[in-house]
Amino acid sequence: MDPLVLGGLVGLVTIMVLFSGVSVAMGLLIVSAGFLIIFDGMRSLELMPEILFGKLDNFALLSIPMFIIMGSSIASTRAGADLYEALERWLTRVPGGLVISNLGACALFAAMSGSSPATCAAIGKMGIPEMRKRGYPDGVAAGSIAAGGTLGILIPPSVTMIVYGIATETSIGRLFLAGVIPGLLLVGLFMAWSMYATWRSGNTELLSSGSYSWAERFEILPRVLPFLAIIVGVLYAMYGGIATPSETAAVGALLCLVIAMVIYKLWNPRDLWVVLRDSTKESVMILFIIAAAGVFSYMLSSLYITQSIAEWIGTLDVNRWVLMGAVNVFLIIAGFFLPPVAVILMAAPILLPIILTAGFDPIWFAVVLTINMEIGLISPPVGLNLYVINGIAPDISLRTILIGSLPFVGCMLLAIVLLCMFPGLATWLPDAVMGAAL
Amino acid sequence: MSGQLSTGALARTGDNLFLRGVAALSTLAGWCSAGMIVAAVAITCQMIFVRFVLNGSTVWQTEAVIYLVIAATLIGLPYVQRLRGHVNVDLIPLALGAKARFYMFLLTSALSIGIIALMLWYGYEYWHFAWDRGWRSDTIWGVRLWIPYLSLPVGFALLLLQLIADLVAVLLGYDNPFGLED
Amino acid sequence: ATELRLSHQWSNNDIRHKVAQIVADGVAEADVDLEIKIFGSKSLFKPREQYKPLSRGQLDMTVLPLSYAGGQQPAFNLTLMPGLVKNHDHAARLNESPFMEALEAKMAEDDVMVLVHGYLAGGFAGKDKCITKPADVEGLQTRAAGKSFEQMLAGAGASIASMASSEIYNAMQTGVLSAANTSSSSFVSYRIYEQVSCYTPAGDVALWFMYQPLLMNKSTFEGLTEDQQAALLAASEKAQAYYLEEAKKEDAASAKVFADAGVEIAEMSQADFEAWRALAQETSYAKFVEEVPDGQELLDMALSVE
Ligand code: NA
Ligand code: NA
Repeated sequence: MDPLVLGGLVGLVTIMVLFSGVSVAMGLLIVSAGFLIIFDGMRSLELMPEILFGKLDNFALLSIPMFIIMGSSIASTRAGADLYEALERWLTRVPGGLVISNLGACALFAAMSGSSPATCAAIGKMGIPEMRKRGYPDGVAAGSIAAGGTLGILIPPSVTMIVYGIATETSIGRLFLAGVIPGLLLVGLFMAWSMYATWRSGNTELLSSGSYSWAERFEILPRVLPFLAIIVGVLYAMYGGIATPSETAAVGALLCLVIAMVIYKLWNPRDLWVVLRDSTKESVMILFIIAAAGVFSYMLSSLYITQSIAEWIGTLDVNRWVLMGAVNVFLIIAGFFLPPVAVILMAAPILLPIILTAGFDPIWFAVVLTINMEIGLISPPVGLNLYVINGIAPDISLRTILIGSLPFVGCMLLAIVLLCMFPGLATWLPDAVMGAAL
Repeated sequence: MSGQLSTGALARTGDNLFLRGVAALSTLAGWCSAGMIVAAVAITCQMIFVRFVLNGSTVWQTEAVIYLVIAATLIGLPYVQRLRGHVNVDLIPLALGAKARFYMFLLTSALSIGIIALMLWYGYEYWHFAWDRGWRSDTIWGVRLWIPYLSLPVGFALLLLQLIADLVAVLLGYDNPFGLED
Repeated sequence: ATELRLSHQWSNNDIRHKVAQIVADGVAEADVDLEIKIFGSKSLFKPREQYKPLSRGQLDMTVLPLSYAGGQQPAFNLTLMPGLVKNHDHAARLNESPFMEALEAKMAEDDVMVLVHGYLAGGFAGKDKCITKPADVEGLQTRAAGKSFEQMLAGAGASIASMASSEIYNAMQTGVLSAANTSSSSFVSYRIYEQVSCYTPAGDVALWFMYQPLLMNKSTFEGLTEDQQAALLAASEKAQAYYLEEAKKEDAASAKVFADAGVEIAEMSQADFEAWRALAQETSYAKFVEEVPDGQELLDMALSVE
């Protein structure tokens, strides 16, 4: 069978299997096994556990559970609330100050957590009830946190950047730096939208509520210090010659656990177990998808599908921006249904050669890809952040959360357009810190 | 819709002894998995300390950490299955009526059990091969590879048990197909 | 047509890919109903995951450093042993020696055979200073390619940091590492010249030689028709000659890249080489003999090649 036709068939079968309710990782294994048996014979099947083990045999993967522990340990303390309260006391006069504070807190928290759900949960637990109490519409309250939470995978550290780095063999340190400015840009766009929306609503209560004395404003600052200590500590370890990026994650995890225990008095074994349990749950889920996607990509490569698609795209004579547009549409659609890690692992081996041939920068593309994945996090049917918000505020309907998130999806699309117009937004910082790219 | 990360979903066992036994086993595996992740954190920090502060050699730590994370993943599989933590997309089940959904669940369960049984079988074979031939890793540390490879048969065996328990729970009416309420 | 699958970890412009390509082209030209499909750049298996499927017949051919399989056949550690090979011509003589026959017998135990022999050389790079003799590495955080080199460098008082070769660049940049030892081609492809002040390439004498043959599953080979076998062997012979010529050029080319980047180029003298070898004898050779039952015999066979 022609590898391209076979590739189409694999795609179709994969979608059918994944929509059937079977877990993503097992679905990928089932599809891989099926095609390997039919087109490669039983011998290939023998290799599956070996390949699965081999995909996990990578030191960089360590940083996934570590960056998740960082987020979830701090998320289980009142640190998130402190952070958001501090910002709020300083931003009372700004229209939509409370939303802005929450978004800012999400961005800061994202600088410590590698995943999005933890960011969402940490800030949302306190932020959503507070915003609703002050009269913000449910949609704005929930949507802003859902969207702010997605910054967890754009602002470093980021689990999806690690996965991209492993899949495409690009420097993880460089990828992390590339996410900083686009992350700030996105926060800026989110904030600008929130201010505009609040101002337009004409609800004066939202402008005047809560006023704080200067004493109150300064009094809360020390409570933000542990946060800064963690961020500075991790940055110093990573770029100051103490540890490689993968190793730094462990320093961060230890630092967060210690700070959670010492400063936030998280020493009840039961509470500690909850932190560990949640981290283990999320990490194992992601790592199993990585392993299964490894087997899946072995199948694609073994049946010569990956290679044929790359060759085929190479022969297409299309404008590179049309190509980039098509890639984005593909990624957004894939992101609707699949968790970011699965999309990256399945798409990267096929997309990267295309991207490189068309003359795009792989580091820049990682940022575009990540923003696409952020859209997926707040879009149905599989939008992890939507469910986190749903868990925090069960009485806000998924529909309301979704509609509230829509303007933020618009901001993300705008950010992608800006990145296409000004690629330097992503590539300038890594080049400045680590020298010009390859 | 699924993909919850922070909800308290859990495999339901009722008072069934088999289901409770499997749940206990999966939970124990979860503790082991979490313990191995903590050990990986500790060893990595120890490595950085030895290298950066003592300027000493660090020859075994990287490898130990890799094997710990792999083992944590594989041994953690049954526990995460019990916690309903493996993300899935249940578009088709949601669109189906109760009866069709039940048969859909039987089908996906059978497929999952089948694939994991296959992984268990070949995983065991691979482990046995490494044991039989006395394979070691090609480093100074030279770990006997059957030790890390052991996590393949053990992890998949426990996951298989949990998957069978999940099927049994639905067949006996303790749990709903795909955990969906009617 | 019979289709054989060849897996390797190198990019399309790497010498080892070209060796595989020559064999594939030669076989195609011979028109014996045999096709070799090359899966390069780790697209099928990870580098260290290739020998196992090869020996079990799940993969037909591969080009890899044989020492990757040192955990399965400890004797293979001799193919990345400091000071065992002096230069490329010496390496070519080793390929034709009883020593290589003994290694091929070990491979046969795993149902593996050699189609193309070949050695590639490598050198040292130092972040702040030149590394030519054992005293130069004392107290330096060093990343070495290969277990035997790690043992020797540890014997010289270096601290061994184990990490993937892809991490060398960052680790050098941030100062986690201060010295590294790997192949000439890796030094260039990972752009280490941007991070070091001095490079000691393989020259008239070199310490670091790695045996990186094109291997095939023996049973699969024996299952081919006589015509097909003959075509494979003929193409392999052609490839081997090419491999040797290009391997020699590689070291000078890497030195030029480093020099062009403004990196100081140091040279290892005969006396330096002897000092390293004396150290290796006490450390890596001794460890090897201790670990491998017929290790002494194999080592003597290798050392007796003039
Ligand atoms: Na982050
Ligand atoms: Na989605």
